[in-house]
Amino acid sequence: MANEHPDDMAEFHWMMDMVQTVDVGIVVLDREFKIKIWNGFMESHSGMLPSQVRDKTLFELYPDVSQAWFSRKARPVFELRTRAFMTWEQRPYLFKFPSYRPITGSEDFMYQNITLSALASATGTVENICMMIYDVTDIAAHKNQLEALQVQVSENKEIQATQNH
Amino acid sequence: MYSVLICDDSMVARKQVAKCLPPDWEVAVHFAKHGQEAITALEQGKGQVMFLDLNMPIMDGYETLKTMGKKGLQSNVIVISGDIQPEAHERVKALGALEFIEKPVKPETLQEVLRKHQLVELEEEEAELDESALPTDIRDCYQEITNIAMGQAGDALARILNVFVKLPIPNVNLIEVSELHMMLQDIQHKDSVSGICQGFIGPGISGEALFILSDSSFGDVAKILDINEEVDDQVQLEMLMDAANILIGTCLRGLANQLDLYFSQGHPVVLGQHRNIAELIKSNKNKWRRTLAIELSYGLEGYNVQCDLVLMFTEESMNVMNYKLSHLLED
Repeated sequence: MANEHPDDMAEFHWMMDMVQTVDVGIVVLDREFKIKIWNGFMESHSGMLPSQVRDKTLFELYPDVSQAWFSRKARPVFELRTRAFMTWEQRPYLFKFPSYRPITGSEDFMYQNITLSALASATGTVENICMMIYDVTDIAAHKNQLEALQVQVSENKEIQATQNH
Repeated sequence: MYSVLICDDSMVARKQVAKCLPPDWEVAVHFAKHGQEAITALEQGKGQVMFLDLNMPIMDGYETLKTMGKKGLQSNVIVISGDIQPEAHERVKALGALEFIEKPVKPETLQEVLRKHQLVELEEEEAELDESALPTDIRDCYQEITNIAMGQAGDALARILNVFVKLPIPNVNLIEVSELHMMLQDIQHKDSVSGICQGFIGPGISGEALFILSDSSFGDVAKILDINEEVDDQVQLEMLMDAANILIGTCLRGLANQLDLYFSQGHPVVLGQHRNIAELIKSNKNKWRRTLAIELSYGLEGYNVQCDLVLMFTEESMNVMNYKLSHLLED
């Protein structure tokens, strides 16, 4: 009985392994925002084991996250099955994780782009949503550097302009 | 020389009308985004002929006609609207409009109306067929699937936001790089609108969605999205993202369902805020020449919310889409 679909089980096993090891944060939340899945990326960066976070709400673990705001973001995902996005330009991070490169990195924390997408159940209803957390620290650092440089260039131009007068 | 005034809140619609004017007609063309602007232009002596949309923010077409009557402003008004209810025709004619043309406007119809009212010289020449135009049956087909997608999206929006969505008539066109350029520059130069673009991709089909919201809508959008905090720049930006997301998401889902595929969406990018739009397009100029654009101009009943959604598909995508839609084209 147990060995009826050994291939299916093996496949399930390596698929779970993939979810665990992929270098993107994956969190599955139910309608009450209780955590169902917390993958390896989340475990490593937060320092919290899946067993510690399971069935706790996102807001218990991260009191800084406003429940009203997050529910508003997630509502269309549950109701309309659209995706919802949070970008680092608006909110540098949702989970305050230390920088991935503690020695050579210039930033103190991980900048994050976050996508929420609906997970359909076998019956077609949406009871869970998946949150994907991307590390965009390098992009953010480059952009910040570029902006600082632009400010410097325009300041230099102004100085030159005043000197010429 | 004649002065022609085109009054429509949608940028693409304004350009569409301008493109439909007889090519040899020597006129000065002026644009207005709503009735108030049109009235100002008329008072300045512009607009012996006016093409007027009905559904517009600030001052709609009916109000414009009434105000013209009150102020005694003369113009040959031709109403161009997506409102196809017979009562709309009667009402605008009673208010002094010469003629009513349904959207999307076609060059032949528009030129025939101009001839009928002797606004252009009677010249018996066959209207040239624009080779860049989309074949009518394919255009109808895209329009139809967008209509259905909109119906589904509208229903979903109405349920989640508790508002009545005025369903727009989709405007389907092939647009050239230069036209898109103009459109984006419009966004950049006016502080009064904000834009967001988002890439989407499905098997063999790729494109970008462009969402434009007029800044005067922000207060009402906050009400609809149930945001009670103070609306500062940060909140405004996030609201723009959320509104864009709901509209783009529902609309794409509706389209994807009918094409029997799935679109994945990239992260949205705010236009103009962090990069120069002109440069953005210039660097891409060699890669594409024209794009299939589906334009939707939304309104919400009881709220002063006006937004445009433009879905742009690459030329290559059209082959795949035409194939997927071929069952609709068969007789």
